[in-house]
This record gives sequence, C-alpha cells and structure tokens, in this order.
Amino acid sequence: MDLVRHLGYFLVVTEELHFGNAAARLGMAQPPLSQRIRRLEEELGVRLFERSSRRVALTEAGRLLVPEAREIVARVERTRDLMSDLARGDAAVVRAGVPADLGAAVVAALIAGFRDRRPDVRLAPVEMGTAAQVAALLEGRLDVGLLRHPADVNGLDHGPVLVRHPGVLLAEGDELTAWATVHLGDLAGRDLVLFPRDAEPGLYDDTLAACRRGGFVPAEIISTDRAEFALGLVLSGTAVAFGAPAEVPGVVWRPLAGAPLAWRCSPAWRAEPGPYVRDFTAVAVQVLKDSAGMVDEGAPPTRRVAPRPATGFLA
Amino acid sequence: MSAMRAVGAVNPIERVFREAGVTGWLHAADIDDGREVALRAGEPVVLASVFKVPLLVELHRQAERGLLDLTEHVRVTAADRVGGGTGLGVMLDDATLSIRDLAYLMMAVSDNTAADVLLARVGREAVNTLLDGLGLTTTRVLHDCRDMLSGMWADTGAADQSALTQACADPEVVARLRALDPALSNRSTPREMTRLLAMIWRDEAAGAASCGAIRRLMGLQVWPHRLASGFPFDDVAVSGKTGTLPTVRNEVGVVEYPDGGRYAVAVFTRSLSTAQNQPRADAAIGTAARMAIDQLRNHADRGAVHI
Repeated sequence: MDLVRHLGYFLVVTEELHFGNAAARLGMAQPPLSQRIRRLEEELGVRLFERSSRRVALTEAGRLLVPEAREIVARVERTRDLMSDLARGDAAVVRAGVPADLGAAVVAALIAGFRDRRPDVRLAPVEMGTAAQVAALLEGRLDVGLLRHPADVNGLDHGPVLVRHPGVLLAEGDELTAWATVHLGDLAGRDLVLFPRDAEPGLYDDTLAACRRGGFVPAEIISTDRAEFALGLVLSGTAVAFGAPAEVPGVVWRPLAGAPLAWRCSPAWRAEPGPYVRDFTAVAVQVLKDSAGMVDEGAPPTRRVAPRPATGFLA
Repeated sequence: MSAMRAVGAVNPIERVFREAGVTGWLHAADIDDGREVALRAGEPVVLASVFKVPLLVELHRQAERGLLDLTEHVRVTAADRVGGGTGLGVMLDDATLSIRDLAYLMMAVSDNTAADVLLARVGREAVNTLLDGLGLTTTRVLHDCRDMLSGMWADTGAADQSALTQACADPEVVARLRALDPALSNRSTPREMTRLLAMIWRDEAAGAASCGAIRRLMGLQVWPHRLASGFPFDDVAVSGKTGTLPTVRNEVGVVEYPDGGRYAVAVFTRSLSTAQNQPRADAAIGTAARMAIDQLRNHADRGAVHI
C-alpha cells in the first residue's frame, strides 16, 4: 500500500471527524475512503477511529498517530518539491548541505539571509553530516556545504574557518552545576551524548581525544543527531552533552574552563565553485557569527600541560 | 528564626571547612583586577612554614643588592640539622649546597634545616623590614624552625622529637602550644599573604628576575594533597607553600588558568581533631580554594564577595 497517501486520507478524516465530509473534501465517494482507512488500520494493526452511527472519534492509537502522520506527509511533500526543482535543472537553485544540529533559528537565518542577497536564486538546504557532504560535493550532488573540521577536504576548497567553543549541558540537579566553570576532568565517569561518528567522523574523534587529554573518558557514549533526544538524556541526568546554552528548563549550561573543545566549521565547495557559492559563503559566515555564536578562528590555541613535581615523570 | 535562617544560609566555602572538621580562614584575589573572596581574611593566623615565602623574597632582594651570592656554597653539618620529616634534617651526612639550592629544598619539601640556614644568613629583622616596606605590617617572622620546635618541646615537656609527636596527639597538650597562638608566633593574615603573592606574580616584590626565580621554586613544591588537590587539571598550574603544625594546615599559592586568569589564594585551617592524618582537612584547602576562584571567574559576580 502507499502508506504516505493513506496517512493523508487519515489526516483529512481526523480534521473532519466525519467520513462523508472527509470524502467530499477529497473528491471521492465515502465507501472507498472507509475502505482505505480500514486498510490503514490493518496495515498498522490498530484501530484508529471509534465509529458509531452518529459520530466518529479518534482512538488513543489514532491520537498518537496524528503528529507522526503530519510529519511524514510534510517531509514527503518537501522532498518532492526539492526534487522537482532539481529535476527541472533550474540553475537558480543552490543546493547547500547543512549540519543536522545547526538549529532552527540558524537555518531560518541562513535562508532569509540568502534570499535578501540573491532574491533571484533559491537556497535549497539539505540536512547532512560532514562525511555525507564531502561525498555529495565531490559527486556534484551539492553546490556548497558547511563542513565540520577536521575533514578530508581533498578535491574541495573551503572558506573562512569559524570556531565555537562548546560548553557542557548538565541536569539541573547535577552537583557540578555548583561551579561557574566546569573542567573536562570534572565530568569523569559520566555518560556523554554526542553526534554520531558516522556523520562527523573527524570532529567526533577530535572531541573524544580532547576529552581524554582533559581527564574525561565517558563511561558510555550515546550517539544521536536529534537535539531533542540529547536534551532528554541530559534532563534525565543520564548523560552530559556539549554545546551552546539551551533554553530548556531543567538543563543548565556551564562553560568549560580553558575552552578545551574547539568546534570548527567552514563553507566548502568543489574545486570549481558554482556561480552562487561566493554569495552563500558570505551569508553563511555572517549568520554563523550572528546566530550561532561562532567567531573567526584566531591562532590555533595550544594546550599546555602545566608540570607538577608529584604527577609528572618518575615521581 | 534568624538563627535558623543563618544556618541554612551557611556559605558553601564555610560548609566545606565544617564538613572537614576544621575552622578556615581564606582570601582569594584575582591578581590582575583585584577582585576578591574573603572569609575571616583579616584575622591573624599562624604561618607555620608559610613564613618561608617572605624569607625567600628577602633572600633574593639581598642577592640583588649584592649582600649575598645565591651560588655560594654552604656546608650543612649535624649541628645545623633541625626536626621535620623532610630534607637535610633527616639526612645522615654533612652536605654542601649552594644558597639557591637550599632555597629549592626549603620550598619544594619545606626543608626546615635549609630554612634556618637561610634565615640565619638573611636575618629576621631584615625579613620584617622587607614586610614593612611592602605594607604587610601584620605579617611577622619572629622565630626560625628550631625556635618553633624547641618552644613546643618546652610547652609539652617532651625530651625529643618522638616524644613531641606522641604528646601532640593530646588535645590538652595541643591547647598549651604557644606556637599555635598567632600573637606569639610567626603570623600573617590571609589577605596579607595574597597581597605578597600578587606582588611576586606581578614582579613587584623584588626585581623581575628574582620574582621569576621565586615563582619557579613555588611551582616545584611537591605536595599534591592541599591546594593542588582542588585543581586536578593538567592545564591549570598550581604553585604554593604549605605550613603544618599540630592541628594547623595551611597553604598559600597561585593558581593559573589556561585562559590567563591567575589567582592568589591563602587558606589557613585549624582542626578540632589532633589526628595527624586528616586527608579530608588537607583536601578541604583545595576545594575551598577552587570554590573561591570559581566565584572570581564567574564574571556575573562583580566586585568584592564578602562571606
């Protein structure tokens, strides 16, 4: 069955709560609509509606399905729109890879900023990790990307490198929230929730190496690129996360002493940049500075071990 | 009612001291902008071996003036040996060292014998004149290590070092020790000690080369259990000088962060218990220091924090 189409029927029925009205809205007769909803129920193995002669009501399963169905239908529509633009071979589209955890406000600012600069060109952002962006750039499936460093940029050029020093997100009840600044070593023994290594291999390894240098070997690493899920784990006290301050009740952000983590990012493109890459780079650099708290990378910070007689060599 | 509220509002640094079974005096200051955290920071305290810091400063100032040569070799014999568990005092044979290497032993392992040899060279009055010149008028160096120990022998009636150690397990005996009375002993205040440290770190206590040499020696102190225990981080430098007597555990030092922040901190404690081994009391010095420095680094708290 075409699950997406059936979910679309389902959503119309949930809005009307009347099979006759829903069928009329869909421009079809009532019996085939009823039949399709039944097939959806069979497919999912649950009853979605309580039907009586007088009224139609959602079951608990039906209520749970509504937001899921909305998201699936919307995503499929977005994908179709994007692909049809690309299929038209429209030169006035810039296909840009953006990291998954950039945040809604930054993505919106990126699109708006590009629209202001080039109203004639549409920016089509695609959510993609660095590894996938590198492959897509090399294969010509993306015009430009926002890469995390370190990355293998053979065959690519990249723009200015911006840097952000993430802090740590802790549950409100964590004893470490007593400190105004937290050292990496303070996190020893805790679990860490981090973006998946598949998506960001370079930054993942870099981050864990910095953690080990700083005395933090996570007991367990939970990988996710879903910010909500990561915050849920932090909120429950299960794990700590690195990142920017989160405006979430119950989650406390603290800077890391000495800024031991440096998350670098830059626009990148294939060796011969497409026509709008310069525009995208200018907009992206400005937006990442204004909305994502990134700054120009200065001299690479050197981490110095301060020797102590009792903890160094042969003591 | 207000008393109950006061108990509930015990500040976290005070709580650390209480939970470790000690009374604490603390001052911490940002060396570069002067902001401070203070707990009974103006009260006189017993320095114990912390007096070796002003002694070291005067030693370098006399070398600057040509009054002594830091590379001159000195023979230390059995007659010079003083009690204390480290350094020349526990060695069995005579030794010849340069004045600056004696200073190293005095700072690295709190060598009492080395300190007394140096104080005899420099003179107590010279140390106190230096302190007056630096505006540290509560800080006084009255005794060398030998005086301190012989005073304790007298107060306890002990005939030797071993008997003194046993006697000092008795709280009533400890209560009689004049060495533990700031009025009768080498003394300072937490605030004056951080001022001295800040002057050393800003090259103001002596010439820049001398201050550099003093900082080097303070960074070579071996003890990890007090101030340094609060900063178990590879990228944080801790320099310090401890001081220990029965029920007295002190350390003054400077903590330097990788972002350039540098903080002078002076922590003086007295324990109720006369037990010699109190790792919690030692560690409380580091924990309290980190809490104070954390407050200084929290730029939301502007100005002085009095607690």
